[in-house]
Amino acid sequence: MAQTDTRKKDEVLFVGIDLGTSRSSISAGNGKREWIESFVGWPKDFIAMQVVGKPVLFGSEALQNRLSLDICRPLEHGVIKEGINRNDEAVKEIIRHLIELAGPASGQKIHAVVGVPADTLKVNKLAIRKAVTEFVHSLMVVTEPFAVAYGMNLLNNSMVIDIGAGTADFCIMHGSIPSEEDQKTVLTAGDYIDEQLFSYLSEKYPNSKFNKNMVRQFKEQYSFVRDTPEEIRVEIPVDGKPVMHDIKNEIKRACESILPALTETTAEMIARFDPEFQVKIKNNIVLAGGGSLIRGLRDHLQDALKEYGPCKVSCVEDPLFAGSDGALKLAQDMPSKYWEPL
Amino acid sequence: MISAFSRKKELKVRQEILKGIYEENLRIIGKKKGVLLRQRTFSPNRVLLILCIAAIVVLAGGNYLDAPLLAEKQTAGEIVMRPLPSSAELPNASDFKAFITNADVSVSRTFGLGVKTIMIDAGHGGVDSGTRGKMGTAEKDIALDIAKRLKARLDKYGRFHVVMTRSEDVTLPLNKRVELAREAKADLFVSIHLNYLPSKPINIIETYYFGPSADSKTQELAEQENAGSQYGLGEFKEVIEKLGQRLKLQESRELAYSIQKNLFVNIAKENGNAYNFGVKRAPFVVLLGAEVPAVLAEVSCLSNRQEEKQLNTEAHRENIAHDLEAGILDYINKGEAGYGADRYAEKR
Repeated sequence: MAQTDTRKKDEVLFVGIDLGTSRSSISAGNGKREWIESFVGWPKDFIAMQVVGKPVLFGSEALQNRLSLDICRPLEHGVIKEGINRNDEAVKEIIRHLIELAGPASGQKIHAVVGVPADTLKVNKLAIRKAVTEFVHSLMVVTEPFAVAYGMNLLNNSMVIDIGAGTADFCIMHGSIPSEEDQKTVLTAGDYIDEQLFSYLSEKYPNSKFNKNMVRQFKEQYSFVRDTPEEIRVEIPVDGKPVMHDIKNEIKRACESILPALTETTAEMIARFDPEFQVKIKNNIVLAGGGSLIRGLRDHLQDALKEYGPCKVSCVEDPLFAGSDGALKLAQDMPSKYWEPL
Repeated sequence: MISAFSRKKELKVRQEILKGIYEENLRIIGKKKGVLLRQRTFSPNRVLLILCIAAIVVLAGGNYLDAPLLAEKQTAGEIVMRPLPSSAELPNASDFKAFITNADVSVSRTFGLGVKTIMIDAGHGGVDSGTRGKMGTAEKDIALDIAKRLKARLDKYGRFHVVMTRSEDVTLPLNKRVELAREAKADLFVSIHLNYLPSKPINIIETYYFGPSADSKTQELAEQENAGSQYGLGEFKEVIEKLGQRLKLQESRELAYSIQKNLFVNIAKENGNAYNFGVKRAPFVVLLGAEVPAVLAEVSCLSNRQEEKQLNTEAHRENIAHDLEAGILDYINKGEAGYGADRYAEKR
């Protein structure tokens, strides 16, 4: 096959990119795997420029310096927020940065496969294409859950649920390209949990001062559904004094807020599928994305689907890179005749 | 042995999938399936055939503007033909005048009745995807997106109750839409559609309100748009008889003028190919059934490649929603009778 051609390997660097609302990752054919938080920040003014010492900052570095930056999280619901001042620019910066991280040798051509949410409106794919075009020599866009499925070799009779920050994407694989009906996107995902958690905490501790970013960190550290033996206590300032707060119940309520949509959509998509293969699919459900790290989520889904017959749910091993690894594999397998110069 | 066989099968599946991805990506950027691959194996026979067809079309047609482009020839058969009336076939002026001069003073405004509930109807949906652009953009998606944006914009005023016939991608027969408007006690009904003209690379904007159609082409269009209704003939007659409501007609016409004006003025700024086809009367079922001022706006033209690309950007859809909003507000706010018509006449 094409990728065994060693000469070609040297000329071309294959990369798989997973553009996410919260984190974006890249896997490259040269073995590099990198991720950044999808934040971009530009210094607000001359003084800020002096302080941070760079014209543009990314990810956690941008977050740490956010008081002196115009900060931008350009992908909402996994889609480029168009028309708002610097979002297009921010996406481009992220992609440029990711590709720099992958470290292509000079003169190497870059062939990229980019994963995007399984949204029905093709509009988004076009916008993302536009943003990536500048930095690569050839490009394909695929849906994120499909990239995960391809990477894990789940091409037949399986279902991938990719729970990201902006969207949860569902995709049924049946040995061919998933059509529109085989894919679905719901908007109750990580960001939704953040919003819920924020409102629950504001309700319970009206005098405590916290922001969205702190709430997100609490979630990422402690998220669980059902039950957990540990106590969850975090430090939040009240009138400037750090005070320990018990947030276990709020975390649980917030995380569980996405469960109904998740189980319903899963059940509905399976029910819609060819009855002969439904059992096979139920035994081959894979959770991916940051949401798959929520403790107890896998067990909950498995139990919730029990009433529809036996089923087996598993989680991907490395949710951060599952999408980009799959995209990379796809890029490497793609016959060279399909790569067209842009 | 068995494993070797299954492995071979898996490889085949893989190759199919890779090919599928390639084709899907071509579609996204608006190229025809396999065009690039086929070019390498272009047989001289085919070139000759195409040249012949081109020659015949040019010779027989005589009218070069009307000769369909080659690329569009293949698709023209499958796509709903949306006829383009020439200026001679537009509703003639006296016809219109008779209709306009008949306008009594608007009842709703005489009694100072305001607009509270606005019903926005995104055309098509579900299994009925409406027309489809060459890059695969479906009318139902764009119409729904614009409808949602329009709703969000109108909601900001806080004084309207804005309802949508469909807020997701579901199949909804026309009579159901009408019922929804009735149930919601809507004061205005705005239906959003996109045009398709297979053989002209232009973008036309037009707005319809209910009335006996003045030209046969519009009649055809109405027949197509009405195809989804589930009204029987008997019911239909009954509804038509209810049409004694002059009020609804006047108001609809004004609303239509107001929307058309705003849409066209703004779109023409961006797309030099935009043509103003004005306000027309047509017997669309959605317009008839609604008992309140109702218009159907064909806000854009999916057959125009440039326009289709534009429609795929959020900014453009937001602009269209803004234009519709401006049209509706114009109608509601500056409401002495005949305002829309006067303004429209001035502009011309």
